[in-house]
Amino acid sequence: MSQRRKLLAVSITISIIFVVIGCVWLSFSAETLDEVAERFGASESPAWTPPIPDYALPGFEGNVVANISIGIVFTLLTLGVVFSVGKVLEAKK
Amino acid sequence: MHIPDGFLDLSICVIMYLATLVFWAFAFRRAKQVLSDRQVPLMATLTAMFFAAQMMNYPIVGGTTAHLLGGPTLAITLGPYAGLISMTIILLIQALFFGDGGITTFGANVWNMGIVGVFIPYLMCLLAMKTVKNRRGMLIGAFLGALIGDLLAAIFAGLELGLSRLSFPYSVPIAVTAMAIHHSFIGVGEGIVTAMIISVLWKTRPDLLRLPKVAPTWMGELPITPTASGGHPR
Repeated sequence: MSQRRKLLAVSITISIIFVVIGCVWLSFSAETLDEVAERFGASESPAWTPPIPDYALPGFEGNVVANISIGIVFTLLTLGVVFSVGKVLEAKK
Repeated sequence: MHIPDGFLDLSICVIMYLATLVFWAFAFRRAKQVLSDRQVPLMATLTAMFFAAQMMNYPIVGGTTAHLLGGPTLAITLGPYAGLISMTIILLIQALFFGDGGITTFGANVWNMGIVGVFIPYLMCLLAMKTVKNRRGMLIGAFLGALIGDLLAAIFAGLELGLSRLSFPYSVPIAVTAMAIHHSFIGVGEGIVTAMIISVLWKTRPDLLRLPKVAPTWMGELPITPTASGGHPR
């Protein structure tokens, strides 16, 4: 296996482990900013309705398998987007 | 630290977009000059890994949670401009698909996590490696850079909130203090993990740490001395 494929395989494996841990054991989120805002009475006014609010597919809230699937799909999407942007920038060199 | 829509005044949003736009312009211009097929796979895999890592929330003080940002590791391995591009893509996907961070506040979020959160760690690493040579200097720089970078990013977020008097009814000192206290703990976590990742890379793939950095020319490369055999750096 080439070094590049090995890097890709290792990083995708680690990413999937992160997603599973994040969805199964470390899913509870109470961010500092949210806590500060709540304490000070500030409120959100969304300018955009996201398709998957708070990382939960509508109708599948609390479903661990759905959450893991979303995490994996969007991790691979991130990989693809950065790779594509990188290739475009590299090609224009 | 993802600021949602409605927390910042429109004037602050516009200022932060304009300030970030300047860095985006420099980042893409420099990336076109430096980025090669050697860095792109590493950039893509590290960015995807930190997107996934941001899904893990670990408990800190006061019943709140924190997660890794990844900016410091991206900055030290690829350079701060590459880190900015990576963090921009992560934050854009989070805002568009999950509502994690706002659209109007996107410029401010990129400024805090993608500019302050990557340039400070890279600068700290440069300074540390000029003071203490090679591995030890890099690990000290990675830890301190991530800690201070995270803390300064939180202070900037507090400043933006405190200056948004129409949207956030509390003054700058109150907002900054509230953000800084919690993020000093988060910064320690980010510092430890960043130093651990850099240490593992140093031992297993030192060639990746020696890749040319997508950084401003005045900053230059991290001073890593290769051994005469071209193997592991000392």
